[in-house]
Amino acid sequence: MPFIKRETAGQADAATAAAEAPQLAALQDFDPDVRWSAARKLGGVAAAVPALAHALKVEQNPRVREAVMTALMRVGDEASVRVLLPYLHSQDAAQRSAAIEALQALPEVVSPFMTALLDDADSDVRILATELVRNMPAGEATRVLGDLLERELQPNVCAAAVDVLAEVGTPEALPALRACAERFRDTPFLPFAIATAVARISSAG
Amino acid sequence: MAPPDAQGGRAVHVTHEDVRRLCEFIYRRTGMLFDDSKRYYIDRRIAERIAATGSESFQAYFAALRSDARQEIEHLVNAFTVNETYFYREEHQLRCMTSHLLDDLLLRKQSGESLRIWSIPCSTGEEPYSIAIWLMENWSEVDRHNIEIVASDIDTRAMKAAAEGIYGARALMRLSPSLVDRYFVRLGDGQFQIDPGLRESIQFTHVNLVDLRQMATYRDFDIIFCRNVLIYFDDASRRIAAESLFDCLQPGGYICLGHSETMSRISPLFDVRRFPDAIVYQRPETLHDRS
Repeated sequence: MPFIKRETAGQADAATAAAEAPQLAALQDFDPDVRWSAARKLGGVAAAVPALAHALKVEQNPRVREAVMTALMRVGDEASVRVLLPYLHSQDAAQRSAAIEALQALPEVVSPFMTALLDDADSDVRILATELVRNMPAGEATRVLGDLLERELQPNVCAAAVDVLAEVGTPEALPALRACAERFRDTPFLPFAIATAVARISSAG
Repeated sequence: MAPPDAQGGRAVHVTHEDVRRLCEFIYRRTGMLFDDSKRYYIDRRIAERIAATGSESFQAYFAALRSDARQEIEHLVNAFTVNETYFYREEHQLRCMTSHLLDDLLLRKQSGESLRIWSIPCSTGEEPYSIAIWLMENWSEVDRHNIEIVASDIDTRAMKAAAEGIYGARALMRLSPSLVDRYFVRLGDGQFQIDPGLRESIQFTHVNLVDLRQMATYRDFDIIFCRNVLIYFDDASRRIAAESLFDCLQPGGYICLGHSETMSRISPLFDVRRFPDAIVYQRPETLHDRS
């Protein structure tokens, strides 16, 4: 299959950049079709991040919100990641999903924020953060999630981390996994999940 | 398990847990689920890919897969899917087009306005020619409307082959002998060429589905057939492609995906429409719908 993968994050679209100013205004148009088009045209335009951030705050139309999130993802710089990260706290599942999907596409830019995300007071955010680790190189993912397992008190967060380790973990994760199973021995599902992950990692031939 | 090496090299040891790991990866990426009942099939494909990539171990192969080195995800998905294309593939969608979609689309059309259908990716042409033949054979209104069929692909070699329209008997296996007689010229050596008139009725163009500037030049389609391509993209690329395809459709236009793809996993932009013959996705008339 010959199709090329997506454009490099941050690669600006020269044609849309030239028409940037009217598009910024169009983000606030009353007509959602106009706002949609504006968001599409501002994807990849770094200078548009503040306007896209504002649009994301006030936009009520879910389809236009999707386009704004995609536009930020296409910018893919630190500023756009800072705009997207708070949406991991959203009460709206669609917004959380869209934000995590966009952030997953930017593992290198997200990487410096991982410590804070995995220490977030909201356990749901910590669970989502484990999904961001899935796209990291195996060694780094193992280190980050191993550290998390050593201190995490919430079994559901540990389970999410274990799920990711079962796929990407290296044998260096085994001590943290076993210690976690011991710590949560009274929470049956977790030692069971850990046993699966340990078997998978240990059997790596 | 030590699967046989498809290329005659040293067999690499792959455990049951390795297989489960890989199957979960495939499931997350594509939605395709392979359980243990298909174990022999799975083992063969893994062995083929490990051998083809020259990987020293399953771990080395899996690392290359995760990083998509040399587009290995695409190669693996290809190994796990039937990529052979042929005329009248996923015929139920063609039936849906003539049974339901076109009637609905015509309600929105002004008199004399063309119907525009896009096949992307068109590969070597089986799909766009199938659409044309199906319309000629199964839509009583076909002579009363102007129908524009555009067929696009990024692979210029495939497009050249599509424009030539020469196929072996295997590609024609779903067509009746009378259809073959009507729409093909026998070339000998088991080769058949699409009727010149039909070849000229399809516009072949070169386009990359994720090139936004290229895609912006394609607009106002009533139906897009975009089958078995989004499955190769990661979630973010699918989002971008889905938004581009949305813009390429007329409001109220339809998009048909491959049988293993669902737009709901890709993007919440489209409305799901369930017809007796197929599930297709529709661009809403306006974004005001969900405001």
